[in-house]
Amino acid sequence: MRDVDLHHGASTDVGLVRKVNEDSYLVAPPVFVVADGMGGHSGGDVASRMVVEEFQRLAEAYDPRRGAELVSDALARAQARIIDYGEAHRALQPGWHAGTTAVAAVLVDDDGVTKWLLVNLGDSRIYRIVDGRLEQVSVDHSVVQELVDAGQITPEEASVHPERHVITRALGSPGGIHPDFFLLPLGSVERLLLCSDGVTGMIEDKEIEEILESVADPRDAADQLVRAAVAAGGRDNATAIVVDVVGLVKDATYDSQRQLQSLESKLGGRL
Amino acid sequence: MSTEARFAAGDWYAVVGDRVTVLLPGSQRGRVAGLWDLADAGAGADALLDALLADGLSTLDHFALVAHDEDSARLLVRGAPTAVVSTSGGDDVVSAAPGTTWAERLLTGVSSVRVTLTGDAAAEHLLSPGLARVSVVEFGTPTSVAATTETSATESGSTGAEEAEPEQLSVPEPAAAAPEPDPEPHPDPEPEPVAVDPEPEPEPEPEPEPVLAAAPTEAPLHFGEPADDPTPTGETPAVSDAVSDDWSDRDGQTQIGAPVPDFDRPPIPGQEMAPEVVSRPVAALVFSTGDVVSVDRTVLVGRAPEARRFASQDQPHVVTVPSPHQEISSTHLEIRPGAGADHGSAIATDLGSTNGTVLALPGLDAEELKPGIAVSLVPGAVLDLGDGVTIQVTNP
Repeated sequence: MRDVDLHHGASTDVGLVRKVNEDSYLVAPPVFVVADGMGGHSGGDVASRMVVEEFQRLAEAYDPRRGAELVSDALARAQARIIDYGEAHRALQPGWHAGTTAVAAVLVDDDGVTKWLLVNLGDSRIYRIVDGRLEQVSVDHSVVQELVDAGQITPEEASVHPERHVITRALGSPGGIHPDFFLLPLGSVERLLLCSDGVTGMIEDKEIEEILESVADPRDAADQLVRAAVAAGGRDNATAIVVDVVGLVKDATYDSQRQLQSLESKLGGRL
Repeated sequence: MSTEARFAAGDWYAVVGDRVTVLLPGSQRGRVAGLWDLADAGAGADALLDALLADGLSTLDHFALVAHDEDSARLLVRGAPTAVVSTSGGDDVVSAAPGTTWAERLLTGVSSVRVTLTGDAAAEHLLSPGLARVSVVEFGTPTSVAATTETSATESGSTGAEEAEPEQLSVPEPAAAAPEPDPEPHPDPEPEPVAVDPEPEPEPEPEPEPVLAAAPTEAPLHFGEPADDPTPTGETPAVSDAVSDDWSDRDGQTQIGAPVPDFDRPPIPGQEMAPEVVSRPVAALVFSTGDVVSVDRTVLVGRAPEARRFASQDQPHVVTVPSPHQEISSTHLEIRPGAGADHGSAIATDLGSTNGTVLALPGLDAEELKPGIAVSLVPGAVLDLGDGVTIQVTNP
């Protein structure tokens, strides 16, 4: 696989309402993961961390030619651990459950061509910027998404639907996991966003697009997305990872200058 | 129909499985051996039919296939054999009209099926699973007058049994209900069952639905509940609300629930869902760029094709073709193994490409594919995507 230079930024915030941040994320290029845990303290946070740990293991011995297989394995290992963990807890506390969503992006080698392999379970989301526009790549595994797909409600109705928080697939689900995979050419993704529903549930896609379009440095973009979600009410943990393939952003020189300036200002700020 | 079967000796082969029988002329010895392996392994009618037709129809002028159940029968007759099916509504003769592929019937309320291959001898020998040389095969009770009355007698007998069933259900019910906690009449005097069975269920519902509360632990007591038994067969309905109960998110709002019933990935309208991956390729695609791709799964072709929402084991083949003039869309064309009527062949769908796809089938005028409408491909077909890129369809 041709070496691809990736610039990336990540940010997370517990929000204004929750006491625990159940979101976990991993930035281990070329592996990026966001997981949004469910089940409360020592439930959701542990479950989402297990996903991140398994992808960390994947990243440590990553073979891009076996990307899809390795990602499936990592998800299967995380699923097994979360189920075991849940069973151990249920022995003491009946009805106890832990689960988590997961979105991941990895670079894979598809017959010598580098591509993005994306995977989704639950209602965390993957967006991309393509031709200067924001596009949601993943399709939520949620009751409202299914109702939208079936033509029973509109996307606008979905955002206020009473069942909008009910997801139909997740890690830790006793019915097994059925992740959706996506394979995208590198060039079709100018910028990639992985985020939990604490971002998308608080701010509109339009605002996400504005931030991703206007903020050149991916670290700043991730920060601003999470900050905007908290400012909009912060009802849920919010996490965002922004990834740029350097050389494919619209203006590489401009961006690298901004990148340098941003880095300098940050280093300056710390000193 | 009883599954008892008899035959008269002859020179046809009968391959007799538990529920499916295939009848073949004496000349089809080669097919018989393979079919018997399948039938012996418990293969169903469709599996046997697959094997029967695997070598094509042209060498198979005559056959009959009978899949028989308690009171229904599925019959396939090609060529010479004729079948007489006796149902409560009278007799029905099934035979293939000359020139047709075969005659097929799905019949219920069948009391007997008699398949005549050659001659018209009386079927006197008992036919058991295995191979036999036959001229006539008869399933179920013979169609003589005496036998018909006999059949109706058994039928009415069985109906009687069915009618008796609700009684049987209601008889054990009160008896079985007695040791139940039964909160209404005696809330106190019988505390033991409660102690024996400490239900951790938090459901505070007292009386109105004692059925549901009792069901998970005392399932057998559930059926026959007089007022609200939705399953007259006596089966205990599955009570599986536990999942949604357990999955409430204790900290936040997200929770896992069951999918909306009867929902699956929406197929392209008017098109059956294809099997994602088939064991044998149905065609090979020879690209003008030199690539050769076999169609054993979905193949996506385009300038920069994107594959969406696939399961890890069904990863599509993604074929990138050059398009210096941008005539080819990023994800332009899909070719995949067909389902249903297109089973065994490849089908192509233009995915709403900007400049379209032209299909030239051998001997026909070239036509433009309509976006989203799948077209069956035969070997020799050529697809033109623009920018000089063509795909030739060949046998795998």
